[in-house]
Amino acid sequence: MSGVTKHYGGVRALDGASLSLEAGEVHGLLGPNGSGKSTLNKVLAGTVAADRAEITLDGRPLAIHSPRDAHRHGIAAVYQQLSLIPDLTVAQNLTLGVEPARAGFLRARVSAPDVAETLRQFAPALGDRVTASTPVADLPPGEQQIVEIAKAVMRRPRILILDEATASLHRDQVSLVFDVVRRLCAAGVSVAFVSHRIDEVMQLCTRATILRSGRTVASTELAGTSEQELVSLMIGQTRAPEAAAAPRAEKGEPRLTVTGLSGQNLNNVSLRAHRGEVLGLGGLQGQGQSELLLTIFGALRAREGSITTSSGRGARIRHPRDAARIGIALVPGDRATQGMFAQRSIQENISIVSLARRLMAGVAISARRERAAAASMIDRLSIKIGRLTDPVSSLSGGNQQKVIIAKWLLNEPGIVLLDDPTKGVDVGAKAEIYALIRKLTRNGAAVIFNSSDDRELAEIADRVLVMYEGSVKGELDAEDVTYDNLVSSALLIGMGDQHRVGGDESGTA
Amino acid sequence: MSGMLDRIRDVRVGALATWALLVIAVVLNAILQPTFFSLYSITSNFATFVPLVLVAIAQAIVVVGGGLDLSLGAIVALSSVVAVTVMGGEDGRVGLGFAVAIAVGAVCGLVNGLVVAVVRLQPLIVTFATASIFSGSALVVMPKPGGTVPPVMTGIYRTAVAGVPVSVLAVLVAVCLWLVLRQTRLMRHVYAVGGDPGAAYASLVPVTRTRTLTYVIAGAFSGLAAMALLANSGSGDPFVGADIALNSIAAVVVGGVALRGGRGGAVGAVVGAIVLAMAANIVFFFDVPTTYRQLVNGLVIIGALALSVLSSARRAAR
Repeated sequence: MSGVTKHYGGVRALDGASLSLEAGEVHGLLGPNGSGKSTLNKVLAGTVAADRAEITLDGRPLAIHSPRDAHRHGIAAVYQQLSLIPDLTVAQNLTLGVEPARAGFLRARVSAPDVAETLRQFAPALGDRVTASTPVADLPPGEQQIVEIAKAVMRRPRILILDEATASLHRDQVSLVFDVVRRLCAAGVSVAFVSHRIDEVMQLCTRATILRSGRTVASTELAGTSEQELVSLMIGQTRAPEAAAAPRAEKGEPRLTVTGLSGQNLNNVSLRAHRGEVLGLGGLQGQGQSELLLTIFGALRAREGSITTSSGRGARIRHPRDAARIGIALVPGDRATQGMFAQRSIQENISIVSLARRLMAGVAISARRERAAAASMIDRLSIKIGRLTDPVSSLSGGNQQKVIIAKWLLNEPGIVLLDDPTKGVDVGAKAEIYALIRKLTRNGAAVIFNSSDDRELAEIADRVLVMYEGSVKGELDAEDVTYDNLVSSALLIGMGDQHRVGGDESGTA
Repeated sequence: MSGMLDRIRDVRVGALATWALLVIAVVLNAILQPTFFSLYSITSNFATFVPLVLVAIAQAIVVVGGGLDLSLGAIVALSSVVAVTVMGGEDGRVGLGFAVAIAVGAVCGLVNGLVVAVVRLQPLIVTFATASIFSGSALVVMPKPGGTVPPVMTGIYRTAVAGVPVSVLAVLVAVCLWLVLRQTRLMRHVYAVGGDPGAAYASLVPVTRTRTLTYVIAGAFSGLAAMALLANSGSGDPFVGADIALNSIAAVVVGGVALRGGRGGAVGAVVGAIVLAMAANIVFFFDVPTTYRQLVNGLVIIGALALSVLSSARRAAR
């Protein structure tokens, strides 16, 4: 494939990326967060339509418009997001879309030997009681992933795409999958292998293509290439504009202390956020950063651990309401669904959280006071609006995000949790959001900032916790918070044992 | 907010609750109507059940595929008036009548399916709109009730074959049709699309075609329901079936089909339809005005949902 370009709205996911697979090889696909690996794979598998792409197979040009097209050319994919139907059985899922039929009637007997053979091949990675007629919903996530892989293999592809297919697997399951992949390769199948575990790529692949910001930057033989060399290829030579010596606030007393927090996608996380500090959450995407913020905010249930704040001593947070009461605010990443009432007016959106403070006799809303509060906030945040009564959906992405931040600031929070607040926001609005964050910390708030953009973390965070599979695996402090350190720590931490990164090892935050 | 809605849509009446309700309905009915198990009473009861049973199967297929069809009642009305007009009361044209009714239903379903699956509009809104179109067309074909159904149809409908009433046979045949349909690749794909359209698409299921076909099949079943309705009433009526669409949704819910799609089956919907129809009987025997039927339907649905929530909560607690 070459010249693959894909835009999502204004965001360029792929910008002329290319990839070439040879028969019988396992080809690694590497790159930092948001470099376009998954999008490139989806274009090849037909689930995403590229703006522009040239794909050739055996020297002949191909057009792939749908997964069915891809299947016709012998391309099968294992997706990061599983393509299984939970209510169907294992066998029904394995044959889904390619069921043998005569006159429209299913002929389970025809596919049964194939299903049995495939299950035998993967049996060691599945539980003892898993049979062809087990509903997929009854399987744990790892075994569902195995079924997903088995499904792709059963289609007898010439090109197999494995996109983070090993992320939820145990070691034994991974080695079984590797055996299957090696057997397929020996039979001439090409495999494109995406994993954030560099050691797996080193172990399985012969060559690797490295993507960075939607472009292919290198394609290299893996024999004779070290992990460090790969990482530096991924980081590239372009350096982040060094944080323009913004005066970083002095660390004050701790505002928020989290100890031993476990829950959904979280495993024994401890941290301390101080007065006037921006604490960044880094690492690869989806390693529990959002869940950590949501759990602190009470939107997800904590299984274990404690959260204490300097303001609400001993208060239990069971619900976002509790969190708001003791001065915690959350700006969610998915603003469209969690952060706002898109069709309601800007004024209502800004005032909804802090409503209780302005109620007259506890019931009626004073329109005058609501207007005044909203107007002063619009002013402070320099949000460009038409009228206060316009719906929020009429604003640009950046300004929408500022409205969401504004609605929490009216509540004067001591702790602000920001979950990837600048995703899909233009550069100018980003700068203003950064300025806002600085203003918050100057006023003594503690800010916890999750970002999928390592450049952004390097620019704004005073300290960064690097997360991996739900735990804090490293910490970068002060001058160690650089783009290079962030990317390499995120990638290297994935490689088995805790690589200590950065200079300062003052405990686990 | 949408999460809450999803959770409500996910609640599903358990199979046990559905059958329990059927037993309750039968017992109550038998107590109130001593002749309940007589051949005559079974025949006449089932004669009134058949149309709803057929439309409930139709609705179940659409709902399992992740859709919803509010226009099935209007399709029944349109198919029935067209069929009555075509047959013109002649015994020799009954076969033609069946063919026409099924064809009209299927074409209406095709319209629904194409708009929902190809144009990708909300099924609720689409079928709400097409329902008006279909009822309007029915009025054009037959402005006021009239026409005669071939006597052979009304006659056979109330007889029995080898001791089994034809109306009961009709329900059995309908269930068999569903059981045959279940063996097709299409229905497998319908379950997949209703379960997770994105995953189904990635798994090579032709999602658009599958969705469209659910509405076509539902339309065809509604055409059959129209013929049953004609056989029962003896004449055409463009206003018939106004409440049959909503009742079919109720039947599907009581029958344990998740409104979110992908789970449940038409057998449950058939039982649900019979439960609802018998509830109406029971209301009648309690000397409550028939205008309370909607209210009773609502209570039956809530009862069924409550039963299954209780039983699933107990299962979760274990």
